Amino acid sequence: MKGYEALRESIRELGLLPAFGNPGTTELPMLRGIDEYYLTLHDSIAVGMADGYSQYALKPSLVNLHSVPGLGNSIAFIHTASKNRSPIVITAGQQDSRHAVYEPLLYGDLTELVNGLVKMKYEVRHGDDIPIVLRRARAVAMTPPMGPVFISFPMDTLDEEAAYEAKRTGHSPPNLIDEEAVDYIVDRLNHATNPALVMGYEVDVFDAFKEAEAMADALGCPVYGEPLSHRSPFNSNNPRFAGDLLPASTLINMKLLPHDLILIIGGGITLYPYLPSPLLPGKHIISVGFDVDPRLGEAFVMNPKTFLAAAAKKVKHKCDFKREEDLLYMNKVARARSTMGIDYVLYKMKKAFEGFTVVDESISYSPTLRSAMGYGHNKYFTAKSGQLGWGLAASMGMSIINRKTVAVIGDGSFMYSVQGLWTAKKYGLPTKIIVLNNGGYNILKSYAKSYYPELENADYLNIEASITDIAKGFGVEAEIAGNELRELEWLREGSEPKLLLINVDRTVQKMFL
Amino acid sequence: MKALAILPGFIPMDQIKKAAAQILPELELTADASFEKSDADVLIVTTFTKVDAGLLSRMPNLKFIQVASTGYDNVDLGEVRRRGIMLSNIPVANKEAVAEHVIMFALVLLRNFVQLNSQIRAGQWPVLTGARELKGKVFGIIGMGAIGTKLVERLIPFEVGILYNDVRRLPQDREEFYGVKYVELDDLMRLSDIVSIHVPLTDKTRHMITERQLNLMKDGAILINTSRAEVIDEKALIKAVKEKGIRVGIDVYEKEPPDFKSELFSLDNVVFSPHIAGATVESQERFLMETIANVLRYKQGLEPQYRVV
Ligand SMILES: Cc1ncc(C[n+]2csc(CCOP(=O)(O)OP(=O)(O)O)c2C)c(N)n1
Repeated sequence: MKGYEALRESIRELGLLPAFGNPGTTELPMLRGIDEYYLTLHDSIAVGMADGYSQYALKPSLVNLHSVPGLGNSIAFIHTASKNRSPIVITAGQQDSRHAVYEPLLYGDLTELVNGLVKMKYEVRHGDDIPIVLRRARAVAMTPPMGPVFISFPMDTLDEEAAYEAKRTGHSPPNLIDEEAVDYIVDRLNHATNPALVMGYEVDVFDAFKEAEAMADALGCPVYGEPLSHRSPFNSNNPRFAGDLLPASTLINMKLLPHDLILIIGGGITLYPYLPSPLLPGKHIISVGFDVDPRLGEAFVMNPKTFLAAAAKKVKHKCDFKREEDLLYMNKVARARSTMGIDYVLYKMKKAFEGFTVVDESISYSPTLRSAMGYGHNKYFTAKSGQLGWGLAASMGMSIINRKTVAVIGDGSFMYSVQGLWTAKKYGLPTKIIVLNNGGYNILKSYAKSYYPELENADYLNIEASITDIAKGFGVEAEIAGNELRELEWLREGSEPKLLLINVDRTVQKMFL
Repeated sequence: MKALAILPGFIPMDQIKKAAAQILPELELTADASFEKSDADVLIVTTFTKVDAGLLSRMPNLKFIQVASTGYDNVDLGEVRRRGIMLSNIPVANKEAVAEHVIMFALVLLRNFVQLNSQIRAGQWPVLTGARELKGKVFGIIGMGAIGTKLVERLIPFEVGILYNDVRRLPQDREEFYGVKYVELDDLMRLSDIVSIHVPLTDKTRHMITERQLNLMKDGAILINTSRAEVIDEKALIKAVKEKGIRVGIDVYEKEPPDFKSELFSLDNVVFSPHIAGATVESQERFLMETIANVLRYKQGLEPQYRVV
């Protein structure tokens, strides 16, 4: 069989579809082997869609990019997929290897371009390589911590003879634990005066919510969410949940001040902005999971779900933490009503979109959104990299398999991948988009307020564009919300893509110390 | 129509007479209810005048009584009914004043205002105080009627949590609009930093706040009563002030004026006002306007508003 036929067989065998891409001439040879193709009008959006799809489905998906220009256009999204631990298989066409020595148009060192961003990279040399490298790519992408892999396909290899033989492959999350390590960690917990748990994104990846709650109840200690977690770290309805840590050393230290032992499960500590306090000095820190960070203290690579289940049976009841109900919340909501403040908007959003998966690119509103909308299995996603433009693309990818997906995106962020709307319309994706319009880059203004006050009112931090008109230009229904936010119900209904623009309060809050 | 107004002696009668002459020339004003007979068909009174069988029998033509206040305890309702006389009160005019008074009590107590004021008058300059802000506190409102609602409207910008208890729960959209949360009375007492009472006096509300409820309150919490004294068990209240450091704002007394020998008046953490939460210059003007408007309505042959009987 030919290389492109081996490609088709391998993709089927490995379950790599759907495919997302924006092809050029160099990809035409391989496209003969790829079905179920979603076209995006900017290369990067294909990566974002695949990222969202694969994170939600916990299975690989395929990306098809156009040699140097397409891959180059997508670097930020690949970086995000890497941070998001998203198991996507990225492919690109490469110039015909028979004249590569002349460095023809579109030619470049593709594997060099993705250096440091993928778990594996390879340029196919022979038709026979194709099934082998795809099997390897899938296995590497899916091994936790998961992440993107890259394969370059020179045009000529797809018409070479390729030996293909179907092989069974299996992939289940490893659930081995090191009993000795479990006993050691339990012993440390039982001897601590006041331990705290910090849970991270792997709780969601391995659906370890039940085990995490059992552990929290057994210990009775507060559970914090890792800073800037890109997926749900814990069930936020559980009264042991003490909220998310904020991503700055001083703030983390203050939150964890009373604790002597900090057990981090399935996550890590992400920082920004820099604050001059050392990170958690004098604390005993233990990390457990597949994605552990030995820079923080002791680290044990283990399946977090299996660990939690085992440890919960052995730990002593150390404290009796219960989060106090926020009795001021409803007053905040009421006060925010007249100015379309975020607390009011999110309160209404929560009611209208109960049970939906939230894709969060609300930027300056993200901390408020997380606590208002809540965490649960497959209920919350955001970009771990800080990159903008991901939210629309990822929510489109997710909405292919989850009709109940709502993206909440800042007006600034929305503009980075706005042409994604074309794909949503073209393929009839049920993507529901809420754009929070505050007229510009609010978080930059807030950061400036704290550190560079002379820039807070800089004109280049303001943007005005008619977002609903833009959406309509792509054929997507769009509305502007009124004071009562009744349009949220309109947005929720139906299976076609829709966009709701909410003009929110433009007051710049001081978010940073 | 012939109208008679019996007003308490402390009201500036001359001024009112001048105004009345412009609006209702047939209105007769008096401070004395002990007249022999009056042929007036309309009677205007405040709560200071008892309207009993004695007075009514001296007014054989009476058809309509307008009480110029919210309360009408001073009127013998049975007698009024028996004689087929219409009775109206003015239920609208002083809610805002009461609500402001409650907030004043809360602030005065939170800020140690009374002590600071007297220290300065004594020539001292206190530098450190334990003054607290209203912002961030939890305000519990017992009775979410007209005054409770006005209080909530005024509390919203203070950035407080608001809990309430009432025999009837507000519709959900109202709760959202005001940002209030319905809780059981015990929870309200337990969770609130400030509790304010706004219930009418009924068999159910008499002594609804007893030692048990007061014991649920946080130490040093604030209790404000501008409704009716009988709602709180006074002995239990005195105990709670002494033992739990409960701070209290009181506007209402079982007997008015009260027995000043009561231990209540010797306690530091209690501030008092003489049942004037609703009585401001502005609210008196509103009462007057509404009273006049209702009597004018009657005079034109229209049904008077705010009918009680
Ligand atoms: C690709 C990319 N470009 C630029 C930035 C820098 N950046 C971070 S936040 C931000 C503003 C986001 O504005 P908006 O989405 O409206 O959210 P707001 O800050 O107003 O809440 C910008 C430009 C980024 N993070 N990623």
